Amino acid sequence: MIKANLRVIYIAMIFHLKQIAVDSFVIFTVIVQPLLVATLAIYMLRRNTDFEAIYVIIGSALTGLWSGTLFFSSSNINFERRAGTLELIVASPTHLAMVVLGKTLANTGMSLGSILISYPMAALLFGFHLKIVNPVLFFISTLFAILSFISLSLLVSSFMSVSLGARVWENALEFPMYILSGFMFPITLLPIWVTPLSYVLAPFWVARVLHMTAVHNTISQLEVVRIWGYIFVLALIYCFISAWLFKVLLKKARAESTLGYQ
Amino acid sequence: MKNLVASTRIFLSSAWLSYVALLYWTQPITYLASHVAAPFTYILFFSYLGISATGSDTAKFYLIGNALHLCSLNGIYGVTMAIGNERDAGTLVYLVASPSNRLIVFLGRTFFNIIDGVITVSLGLAWSMFLGLDLTGANWSGIFLTILITTISTCGLGLLLGSVSFLSLNVLFVNNTVFFLLLLFSGANLPADSMPTWMQAVGSLLPLTRGIKATRLLADGAQINEVLPLLFGEMAVGAIYGIAGYAVIHSLENIARKRGSLDAY
Repeated sequence: MIKANLRVIYIAMIFHLKQIAVDSFVIFTVIVQPLLVATLAIYMLRRNTDFEAIYVIIGSALTGLWSGTLFFSSSNINFERRAGTLELIVASPTHLAMVVLGKTLANTGMSLGSILISYPMAALLFGFHLKIVNPVLFFISTLFAILSFISLSLLVSSFMSVSLGARVWENALEFPMYILSGFMFPITLLPIWVTPLSYVLAPFWVARVLHMTAVHNTISQLEVVRIWGYIFVLALIYCFISAWLFKVLLKKARAESTLGYQ
Repeated sequence: MKNLVASTRIFLSSAWLSYVALLYWTQPITYLASHVAAPFTYILFFSYLGISATGSDTAKFYLIGNALHLCSLNGIYGVTMAIGNERDAGTLVYLVASPSNRLIVFLGRTFFNIIDGVITVSLGLAWSMFLGLDLTGANWSGIFLTILITTISTCGLGLLLGSVSFLSLNVLFVNNTVFFLLLLFSGANLPADSMPTWMQAVGSLLPLTRGIKATRLLADGAQINEVLPLLFGEMAVGAIYGIAGYAVIHSLENIARKRGSLDAY
């Protein structure tokens, strides 16, 4: 059973990766947009006395990661719906969530390209010597970041499929995450009442721990572990919610016969 | 006289049909999401980024710059959609085969985008005022004129970008890139003195740059005659892009006919 599911996840991932790797919108979201955001932010912030290039680069890479998660995940199921293949996938013995998980892994893998590309490009264009102060902690934090974005991707994917009307709000959801998660500037600039919203967003903790481990010389390891814990718990919550949403989607679709494109 | 009536009819029908049939955001919810909520978040993000760079005293600079930049939503995406969506709808071949004057048709396609662009920027300024932008003493009629001219000039650039639809399906990639390049080069977020000379030179070749500069001056109470050179410059840049767009559409149309790529996917 596990082996069969893993096989489906792997096949869905490879198949989806082949589809999105040549998509110009994906290339823009993962490569061009983070690079332009980073360039703009560098020119805006570089005269600050406490300017840290690595802070901006990580922040802009996270913008690419979130934009990728948002836009690619929301089309995970809706793409099949448009193509007329959703009925076939749902009717197959494999659970829909396995196929979506495979696609999510491909999306997250693609979006991670924004991190891999932002660093060398920024170093090349601006001549920055980008040094990560705590490489081991940073690497482990990156793994937690991947976990959080996979869970978030599943949540976005299931939510956008249950609520078809939500798709028109996609563009309006992109920048609020940049703001509330403090990707490019600290959330202390925002009104105090938005802070609780930031706390329930895993990307906020991801940005915090990545910035912390990359920039700060003296950090509390206990604090880093605590943030990893927050990310893990939030990722679990996102997975539970998305599992519930998948159930709602399938029940609703079978009861109302709404699997096909509406 | 007969030609004038026919041209006016084609202009108006082209304007109306392109707006109701080719733009995705004409439904109220879609409009609310793409022209009210999303622009608000753009303004919020870039203004906070600017404030984190230069302090809250400079918020006005970023709020005005980003509100004006919103006209590129219509100028770039709207105008391009009004041409490119013909291809998606499979009707580009009919448009090319029709005997209508191409210039009138494409000018018609920009018409509602100009009106919509002015409304979007006005909403952006209203949002900015909600966020604390103080426009006491601003020259409102001058600002309105500047918004109108800047939106028209950005539509000129949109016409040029829309021409890509004749050859490629990757128009969205080009649009998205230019949208962000305008943020970078137009001075919406960067004061001229913080840009290298080459970036200032690129900015001077783009629409929006002079419009944003003029709006900032008018917001501080400048008279219209003080910003006239900027407004004429903005109009000239827009006209050059518009003419270039028309010329490129014309030549690409011929290439697409020869390649048979008008409705290729």
